[in-house]
Amino acid sequence: MPPDIHIHNLFYAYPPLREGDEAVPVLNGINLQIARGEFVALLGRVGAGKTTLCLALNGLAPHATGGVFRGDVTILGQNTKRCTVPDLARSVGLVFQDPESQIVQMRVEDEVAFGCENLGIAPAEIAERVAWALAAVGLSDYRERSSLLLSGGEKQRVAIAAMLAMRPQVLVLDEPTASLDPAGKSAVFRVLAELRDRHEMTIVMATQELERIVRFADRVVVLHEGQIGLDGPPQEVFSQVARLQEWGIGAPQMAELGQLLTQRTGRPHRFITVADAYHDLRRQARKLHLDRLRKPSPDAPSRRVSHPADRPQIAVRAISHVYPDGAVALKNVSLEISPGEFVALLGPNGSGKTTLAKHLNGLLKPTTGSVCVEGRDTRTTRIAALARLVGYAFQNPDHQIFAPTVQEEIAFGPRMQELPRAIVAQRVAEALERFRLIPYADLPPALLGFGQRRQVALAAIIAAQPMTLILDEPTGGLDWRSQQEFMEVVAGFHTLGRTVVLITHDMRLVAEYATRAVVLLAGEVLFDGTPQDLFSRPEVLDQAGLALPPVTRLARRLDKYGIAADILTLAQFAAAWHARLTARARRKPNRSTGGVLGRPRREAPRPKGRVLSRSKDEAQGQHGA
Amino acid sequence: MAPNFDLYLRRDTAIHRLDPRVKLAFVVDATLLTFLWPSIGTAATMIGVCVVGFWRARIPAAHVTRIFRLVAPLMVMVFALTAIFGQGTGEVWIAVGPLAVTANSLTRGALLALRLLALATIAFLWLFTTDQATMVRGFVALGLPYEWGLTLALALRYLPLFAALFEQVRDAQQARGLDLEQQSFRGRLQAYRPVLIALMISALRNSEHLGWALEARALGAQGVRRSTFRPLHLRPNDVIALAILGAAFCAGIALRVL
Repeated sequence: MPPDIHIHNLFYAYPPLREGDEAVPVLNGINLQIARGEFVALLGRVGAGKTTLCLALNGLAPHATGGVFRGDVTILGQNTKRCTVPDLARSVGLVFQDPESQIVQMRVEDEVAFGCENLGIAPAEIAERVAWALAAVGLSDYRERSSLLLSGGEKQRVAIAAMLAMRPQVLVLDEPTASLDPAGKSAVFRVLAELRDRHEMTIVMATQELERIVRFADRVVVLHEGQIGLDGPPQEVFSQVARLQEWGIGAPQMAELGQLLTQRTGRPHRFITVADAYHDLRRQARKLHLDRLRKPSPDAPSRRVSHPADRPQIAVRAISHVYPDGAVALKNVSLEISPGEFVALLGPNGSGKTTLAKHLNGLLKPTTGSVCVEGRDTRTTRIAALARLVGYAFQNPDHQIFAPTVQEEIAFGPRMQELPRAIVAQRVAEALERFRLIPYADLPPALLGFGQRRQVALAAIIAAQPMTLILDEPTGGLDWRSQQEFMEVVAGFHTLGRTVVLITHDMRLVAEYATRAVVLLAGEVLFDGTPQDLFSRPEVLDQAGLALPPVTRLARRLDKYGIAADILTLAQFAAAWHARLTARARRKPNRSTGGVLGRPRREAPRPKGRVLSRSKDEAQGQHGA
Repeated sequence: MAPNFDLYLRRDTAIHRLDPRVKLAFVVDATLLTFLWPSIGTAATMIGVCVVGFWRARIPAAHVTRIFRLVAPLMVMVFALTAIFGQGTGEVWIAVGPLAVTANSLTRGALLALRLLALATIAFLWLFTTDQATMVRGFVALGLPYEWGLTLALALRYLPLFAALFEQVRDAQQARGLDLEQQSFRGRLQAYRPVLIALMISALRNSEHLGWALEARALGAQGVRRSTFRPLHLRPNDVIALAILGAAFCAGIALRVL
């Protein structure tokens, strides 16, 4: 059978942003064949051309985007150059990243029927298809719901159902889970896996969800510099950890751990799932009887816990918030945030995280109770005044960006504070340098790529030098490198003794950076403590729909072999594992330790190259050998 | 929180189930009748009919009182202005210079105010019981080109999103120190500029994606006659309602002319 998707020597360049500029190719010689029933994950950095490739699969590139298009894309035998987008829609369904801008009807069943109506299908058959498509995404009961009132995950499933109803053979999805919470992400991935298994659909999904790809995708295609850099089953592609990191894409945490352990112990470790890692390490642990070794004494709390200061940076006292429509978003929430804390604010979508965060800089006023920022009551202080104390990076950088150039964008905050010109200029120069934005200083920020727009938004906030920084899901849609660069800046801000409040669903970030975790559920504080405490409370994690980072899950399972169950980062794990092996080698000096450590110890005490998690703990060596 | 532009209240009542064209006929019919009879009685009756309608459609009292609150300032204004400047004949109650409040101008003021309220209740009875998609389908069934209908539906769909976007952008800019709580109107207008620019950029991005999404859903497929998933059919109840509306209208005309 010929492949469903056949891409031959595809070259594509968007029309240049400014007249006279040369068109820069985004895709530069892509050759790809995808067979029926394959679930292909498309990886690549932000701006690597994933979206463009998705758009090329249903003809939107070049029919809607313009630009230079060479080569051929053939879907089920139809060449996209010779078909219109609406005609290709019978063969290819395309789901976009933003659920809002693709839902066009107010009622779920109307939304799902819309494509069928455009294809002129008879009403009786549309009814059948709508029922089938909604059942396929698990939303059969949602037919009459208003599409405005769905959660993000539900909206994406409706968008998928809307495509399914047109009965395409190929389903293309452009980062459909980037803005969803873990529950929403899982639901979307499960639906896709089922479509492949039950209906033999061909699925191409651009994504940054490395951990989930391992579980769901059959094949991973990596875009690098406009070409296909790697292509193969997840096991194979993710074994190239070093290269993926060099390209800024990253790898699943267990693959990174494998590489780190290989470096530290000299013994090859290759795994990409927690189960594989567990079996591999357990085999070795059993062979070496690590369970018979004396367990290491439990460490003192490893994360720097800040001492309650005389005056908290931000004091939230028994606040409730009721929106004008009567929805109760917060119920009796109390929280004291001390200077220098790194607070992770967690919880499912709709649990009140953003509502709470907006109270911390006065954008929202409590219905009852009070919020004091550095001693000032937010009810009586102007938002503009509070903005000098608290910087707030919104989920969508585009909401904060408006100036004609990057430079002016960054200067806006300091200028609002009426600082002298020289100081404004100095701050702008610093920010441009720190965020690597110097080449773009005079460009309009709106024309930059998504990752860079996010950097500009953060640069503009940090240039105002607030004492507290609030980040609302800042890493959604960012690739591994952009995420690292972003978090490096945030960590740098934190080491200056300033306070960070991070709203996130990414438990790896919580594990690696936060000193305190606050979990909200249905507007109430469900948990408030250290990340370690949180990770040892399965009932809290369950209730809030949070999952342990893979490395912590692995550590838990290896508890019997003397690995501390409260390990949070790769570096800690590698150190703990190394310590076990060293302890064992010391106990049995006569046996061949070569098999244990591979090489004499002096060569492998620390990983070479870029350390994967730059947690403070590793520097302090608390889990170290 | 986005302000709620969707006035539709999902219920399963006879009024909700009526064909949108019948409800549109009611709006036209009731409006014409209200204007045909320049009497307080007609306006009051119409309001009464609508209130019964609200009750039968199980619209909560809070929603109904919201209409009154919305229209009340306008009613007071219309009443006061007509009463003072109406210059009607009849017994003069108060006279200040050339201005005189007469019994006649008072009645006319009351009539206009009540008519206003009648019109508002008629319109809201329609809006509360007809969802936007159905409303648009009704228009299209009555001959509005489909593209216009879709545009209208999209406008209605994106109004709340646009409002939410505006709020988000405003919040985001305020969080950066933009002072929108200024006193002077000009100052505030000036301050809102960054908000509007960011809003435009975001809206343009959204609209580009919306265009793509519509094409990806086969809108404008060549050689295809668009079908309708939930075609409108006049059911017995609709026919009865239409007959009643027709009879009421004819009776109104007849009584007025004869």
